[in-house]
Amino acid sequence: MRRLIENRFGLLALVLVALGALYGVAFVSRPAPAAQARPQAVKVPVESVTAVCPAPSGSRVSVVTPADPERAQTPGSATLSAIRAPGEEKSGGKDDVIDRPGLLWQREIAAGGGPLVVDATGSMAAGLESAQTARETSGTQRGLAGVRCVEPGAESWFVGPGPAAAEMTLYLANPDSAPANVSFMVYSGEGPVLSERGNGVVVKPGQHRVIRLRDLAPSPLIMALQVSTRSGRVAAAVKAVLGEGRGVDWLPVAAAPATRVVVPGIPGTAGQRELYVAAPGEQDTVVRIKAVLEDGSYALKNKETIEVPAGSAASLDLSTGIGGQPAALVLESDIPIVAGMKITGTGTRQDVAFAAGAASVDLGSVVADGRAEGKQTSWLVLSAPFGAATVEVRLLPTKGEAPAPVEVKVPAARTKEIRLTPPKGTKGGFSVVVRPMPGSGPVYGGRVLDESVKDGQMVTTQPLAMARTWALVPPTVDAPGVVLP
Amino acid sequence: MHSVTAIVVAHDGARWLKETLAAVLRQTRPLDRVVGVDNGSRDGSGKLLTEAFGAGNVLTLPRSTGFGEAVHEVLRRLPPAPGQEWVWLLHDDCVPDGGALQALLWAAEQDPKAAILGPKLRDWLDRRVLLEMGVTVSRSGRRDTGLEPREYDQGQHDGIADVLSVSTAGMLIRRDVWDELSGLDPALPLFRDDLDLCWRARTAGHRVLNVSDAVAWHAEASARRRRRIATSDEHPRRLDRRNGLFVLMANLPFGALVRSVLRNVFGSTLRALLFLLAKQPANALDELAALGSVIGHPMRLRRARKARKKGRKQGWPAIRRKLTPPGAALRRLADMVQGFLAGAGPVDSAGRHHAGADRAQEDDGDELLTDSGGVQRVLSSPGVVLCLILIVITLAAERALLPQLLSSGGHLGGGALVPVTGGASDLWRFYVEDHHAAGLGSQTWAPPYVAVLAGLSAVALGKTWLAVAVVLLGCVPLAGISAYAATKRMISYTPARVWLGATYALLPVATGAVAGGRLGTAIVIVLLPVYAALATRVIAGSRRAAWGFGLLLTVGTAFVPLVYVLVAILGGLAAVSFGGIRRGVRRSLVIGLGTPVVLLFPWLAQIVREPGRILLESGLHDARLIDPRLGADSLLMLSPGGPGVPPMWATAGLIAVALAALLLRRHQMVVAIGWGVMLFGLLVAIVVSRIDGAAWPGVPLAFAATGLLVAAGHQAHRIAEFRAARGLRRLGAMLIVVVAFATPLAAAGLWVTRGAGDPLRGDLSDPVPVLAALQSAPGEGTLLLRPRDGRVGYTLLRGRGPLIGESDLEPPRDAIPRFATAVSGLASGRGNTYVQTLASYGVRFVTVPGPVDPALQQALDSQPALARLSLSETGGLWRVAGQVTVPPPPATAGALHRGWLWAQGALLVLVLILASPGARTKEPEGDYGDAPVEEGPRGRRRAKEDKGRKDRVPA
Repeated sequence: MRRLIENRFGLLALVLVALGALYGVAFVSRPAPAAQARPQAVKVPVESVTAVCPAPSGSRVSVVTPADPERAQTPGSATLSAIRAPGEEKSGGKDDVIDRPGLLWQREIAAGGGPLVVDATGSMAAGLESAQTARETSGTQRGLAGVRCVEPGAESWFVGPGPAAAEMTLYLANPDSAPANVSFMVYSGEGPVLSERGNGVVVKPGQHRVIRLRDLAPSPLIMALQVSTRSGRVAAAVKAVLGEGRGVDWLPVAAAPATRVVVPGIPGTAGQRELYVAAPGEQDTVVRIKAVLEDGSYALKNKETIEVPAGSAASLDLSTGIGGQPAALVLESDIPIVAGMKITGTGTRQDVAFAAGAASVDLGSVVADGRAEGKQTSWLVLSAPFGAATVEVRLLPTKGEAPAPVEVKVPAARTKEIRLTPPKGTKGGFSVVVRPMPGSGPVYGGRVLDESVKDGQMVTTQPLAMARTWALVPPTVDAPGVVLP
Repeated sequence: MHSVTAIVVAHDGARWLKETLAAVLRQTRPLDRVVGVDNGSRDGSGKLLTEAFGAGNVLTLPRSTGFGEAVHEVLRRLPPAPGQEWVWLLHDDCVPDGGALQALLWAAEQDPKAAILGPKLRDWLDRRVLLEMGVTVSRSGRRDTGLEPREYDQGQHDGIADVLSVSTAGMLIRRDVWDELSGLDPALPLFRDDLDLCWRARTAGHRVLNVSDAVAWHAEASARRRRRIATSDEHPRRLDRRNGLFVLMANLPFGALVRSVLRNVFGSTLRALLFLLAKQPANALDELAALGSVIGHPMRLRRARKARKKGRKQGWPAIRRKLTPPGAALRRLADMVQGFLAGAGPVDSAGRHHAGADRAQEDDGDELLTDSGGVQRVLSSPGVVLCLILIVITLAAERALLPQLLSSGGHLGGGALVPVTGGASDLWRFYVEDHHAAGLGSQTWAPPYVAVLAGLSAVALGKTWLAVAVVLLGCVPLAGISAYAATKRMISYTPARVWLGATYALLPVATGAVAGGRLGTAIVIVLLPVYAALATRVIAGSRRAAWGFGLLLTVGTAFVPLVYVLVAILGGLAAVSFGGIRRGVRRSLVIGLGTPVVLLFPWLAQIVREPGRILLESGLHDARLIDPRLGADSLLMLSPGGPGVPPMWATAGLIAVALAALLLRRHQMVVAIGWGVMLFGLLVAIVVSRIDGAAWPGVPLAFAATGLLVAAGHQAHRIAEFRAARGLRRLGAMLIVVVAFATPLAAAGLWVTRGAGDPLRGDLSDPVPVLAALQSAPGEGTLLLRPRDGRVGYTLLRGRGPLIGESDLEPPRDAIPRFATAVSGLASGRGNTYVQTLASYGVRFVTVPGPVDPALQQALDSQPALARLSLSETGGLWRVAGQVTVPPPPATAGALHRGWLWAQGALLVLVLILASPGARTKEPEGDYGDAPVEEGPRGRRRAKEDKGRKDRVPA
């Protein structure tokens, strides 16, 4: 040993051997590249849902929760009650309690009274869907007017005619226990409208407000309305009354600004079709329009694009392009846009319906109100603009056994219209449950309800909204390091 | 007509007596009578006296006789001489100059009131050094000569001075005055008897003069313990102190006495405390015992005061003027502090006897040899230049970090470091509290590095961010200067030390530690060279170095527990190798390695229970900071992986040079040890990086690099030899220099190019939004959610950002799953009562830092019980609308924790005292010729070994 150390090269050799050995150990023990398994979110049923029907007086309110055998049944119920502040005693009347999932519950609400709040917990909450539909045969309110009862949220977009073209009314309701500080922004054809009277309002818990948009912005012929809250949440809905003999309907909530917007659920009936697009950003944009029809998907001749100036709305008549055929529109732009569509029925006295940009129904969708009584017909317009899709359509009756589900195949870049016919023997309305099958592409759609009356067709549409059946529980980790970016 | 009787009192003083007697007999003014007294000498002093004075003139007294008693005895037997009779008192170790008596008598003739006269006393050995020119006393009983320590006599104080007292060595006193005052007090056999006598003489209206023309050389043999004192068993120090107090209290008038008692009780306690701090418990004991002995015998004091009653009050104003002015105590304290800073030890004042001042200081007078200006001297020091260069490199590399930190008020954080918020007091509170409210609450004791950091913050004026910034961002220059200074004794070739310091400071580990915000590694990197330097002294057996080593190892271990394992293994090997060679090494090693175990005991016990934590260091454990598949070549190149690490080839030069060092044949042992440490560190690094995916092998690689640098640096002086040679050797030397300096230069260049930060940043905002911090009631929390890599990370903050160390707390086990379920439920947006569950844990706010994930925003917005306060690009904030209950802290008895904290504090103080440099406790035996003078390295080593011993005291 000593001789080895005293030798000039002995120590060097020793060290090199040791280094080699350590290198070998480190090399051999180097772990294999571990595939980073991205943690998956767990799908769980929603446990509680609150929805507000904005103005159900004189309308039929439909509430449904699809039963799902996959889900464990837990006790739960939905309560339908007039909006009230927390802690406030209910003022007369009895709340309706719904506790049978899988069956449609419908009721005609007497005229008068404010918004109704649907509060659901447990198994009644998962997938709860509610809607209000009014039917008038005369007067300014003549027509079919239906709207989804919406959950209160922080931001909603509405795209449609402006207060100069129709009487636009905004319904705000706050069923929460915190006040909502609501502000509005109107984008007209001439740019954003800055209101002199201030563009904010505070809705206290349990309160509801009805605001005539003419007071906010009297001049726009077309508009995009952004209702957002600085704090709290609010359920917002907009009703458009075009006037005697010109129709009435609610504006569906439009998808938030995005560079690609799909406006689905355009019915195959004849009549005028008018597209509204707004670009709320600070840049002008050119929106490329593509129609997805039953026979394919293509740009419309002479209507390939629409120019939208920054912060304003624009409209384009598409009646010659897509009138008379069920369709969906795919709008693409370089900057985020919102979009809506006015659908006008035929006849001497017209009725209107509104469609809007909508999200795909990846986790399924439910439409509460469907009718097939008398001359009323219900249609389902399904589009698969980006890939072939297969959906399962199920009808839920008010009572009795539900009929077997139907499988519908929608080829890629096609739209399909399905007439919804309830099984014989069931009476009254029904609900529609749409569930994409695993492996299918994104599906967009809408439900159309029309009624042929002598003096003109009455129509209302509702884009398919993602059902609040499932929630994705993200994996969480207690990490003190999250204080760092 | 004068007649002079000289009385020489001898007691075991044969060493000096011969000279003394010769001098007495050689006086230019012949003595009328000479009397010798032998107080039972055993060394032949009696015989010398008899030879000189004749048998008839020598009196033999018992051994226990004091000086005063002896003089009394002589004068009792001696009949009065005719005329004005003077008595000249001489010690056996006091050599008067030939003309001393003549000068004294001449002065006495000039002033008829002069009754006591004394010569100028100079040191026996160094005959130019002044010892005394009259002595006075301070109000605390401290003897005061009014001279500087080791002041040379250049005639600066010459003249006849009216003084409070003169020493009995060479004192000329009129016999009638002696009789009138009844002479020296026999109750004071030694020390301060002169002061007492002169005080009484002055009180009686006589004058006491110091005559500088008369010179005597005095050895102060008793005071310096050159001989055994037979009159008392007590230590001369205690005797001196007691007599000083006694004389003071016996002669002061009543009012002054009361003040003096108070002053001395307070002063002695303080002094005793200082002595304890200076590790001189014997001194402290003497101090207190002297005081107790005076105050504890009130009757004796009363008798003495009664005997001195006459004229005491009338004489006091005159005497008061002669006492040391009160400001002198403060000046002495200032001197003491100055002396301490200069390394002379805290209690080393020359108040007692000046020649006791430490002569060793003289040896280090190098600064007197160079007369260049201060700035030039500083700048020409390679260490300072190295430090400045490293600072410049660091500033250049941190050019993005520092302005952010200093200007915008951002927080330093990122990587393993939470945004640094709070101050020293927050950290202290966190360390001492039993229950931590942070997060879900915790009963875990705070990790000990929090206390270290709190101490550092206190030094940085309470600003934690400043302390962290200095340690973390300044770790490169600090490590460089620490490596440069620590190798002073190991490597004599200065350029090699500069290279070593620069290379060490710019190791991949150092830059990686800065970028990753690894405070623990930064501190360990700075401490590692100090460990190495202290370890060499510990192995040499130094006890004090062992305590210091233990203390610093405690600090390092608190931040990075792995350090302890590494050091313990190396220490064990050292004990095996050196334990047999040098005595005391084993004990020093036990001290060095045992101190951290004792000081960190409960925390270490926790870590031993969870062995995986040994591999982790303080701070956050983020997987992004670690390269889980660290290559074997990276490890061999000392690169620990992760952010901030230069490419592998940067350290190639270092490895190459260290391998070349193996080829040189001289000092193979050091090189072999260095390479051994390197291989050991490398092995540990491989183990660490392979066992635990979350562990960073930085510290073991720093160990490895230290070994490598010592191996290479130790051989570097050979480069100079090779350069002096010609031909191939010279070329080889140049090549090696180029290769060696390539490593630090490349590392510096890469570091500056890349920048020091990322993930470390200087502009982090407080994780708790201002609104939430303002609106939270005490105890209410803010839940912070941040989706990352498909997971939602969360943490609960209570009204403020997390403190450093709070991430190491363990929340109660039962609360974790419930809280986690509630958080995931909240993030899913499925509804239910999750918000209420969170509210029951005191969650008032939920915040998501921007950019906010839309899905998460929607989920939070869909919660009826959450009200959104704000949403912007910087983040969103939601408020829980309902009732929020802050969980009350559990009622626990924190007695154990508090007890431990006190014990830890006491132990820390003890270790600090034992580790800090105390008084130089060198025995001045070399000064007196009877012991062989030790010179050279051997003497040095002895001096060093003596430092640790506390039972030795200065004379």
